[in-house]
Amino acid sequence: MNLFRSEEHARNWGGFDDSMSSGLKPLAEWADIFSNPFFRERGRRDYISWTRSDAGRDAFIALRERLPRRDA
Amino acid sequence: MADIELLDRGYTAIMEQVVSTGTAPHFTELAHELGIELDEANDLVHELVASTPGWMHPGTDYLASFPPFNLQPTHYRVTVDGEQRWFAQCGLEATAIRWLVPGSTVQIEAPCLCCAEPIVVKMCDEEIISADPADVVGYTSAEVGGDPSTRPFR
Repeated sequence: MNLFRSEEHARNWGGFDDSMSSGLKPLAEWADIFSNPFFRERGRRDYISWTRSDAGRDAFIALRERLPRRDA
Repeated sequence: MADIELLDRGYTAIMEQVVSTGTAPHFTELAHELGIELDEANDLVHELVASTPGWMHPGTDYLASFPPFNLQPTHYRVTVDGEQRWFAQCGLEATAIRWLVPGSTVQIEAPCLCCAEPIVVKMCDEEIISADPADVVGYTSAEVGGDPSTRPFR
């Protein structure tokens, strides 16, 4: 779960896995994914309770839908 | 298993210290702060780490990672409003640190794993202020949130 100077650099990295090519995204897209409320709400004093609320569960479901999956 | 109110208090105590100092409390300090028994505090830290998800340094009771931060230094150095005191758990979580310091400029510096040349990203709230080079990408070779047993090693 790393940053690289460019797509070419990521693909040249020894740990690059073709079956996880969906895990390669521009910085702005990752920044948007990590803008999900699951991350935004970490500063609240009832964060763990919030993660178990309907809002927290909805946020986690939305997050999972955007996370890369290994090719079948 | 801790009750939800204690989980909230424990999470807040750890996160507030990490955000303000870049360090995490030991469970003994947490016990004192929360007014609970030592064993209860140790269990609480382990339970929080399992759910956040972070990790303990293997074989110890030392908190190593509490996302989006890492207490054990990583190659993701994080500077907030000009002060370098933090490390990110990974390059992707680094982009989420801004939500814990609203209104502050968060600078992420890391060497590229391919060439060791620098990457510098600045963010503030909703905005990516700058990225150098401009074509920075993020990549994960593991499914995010995968097998907990491999968490510290990927």
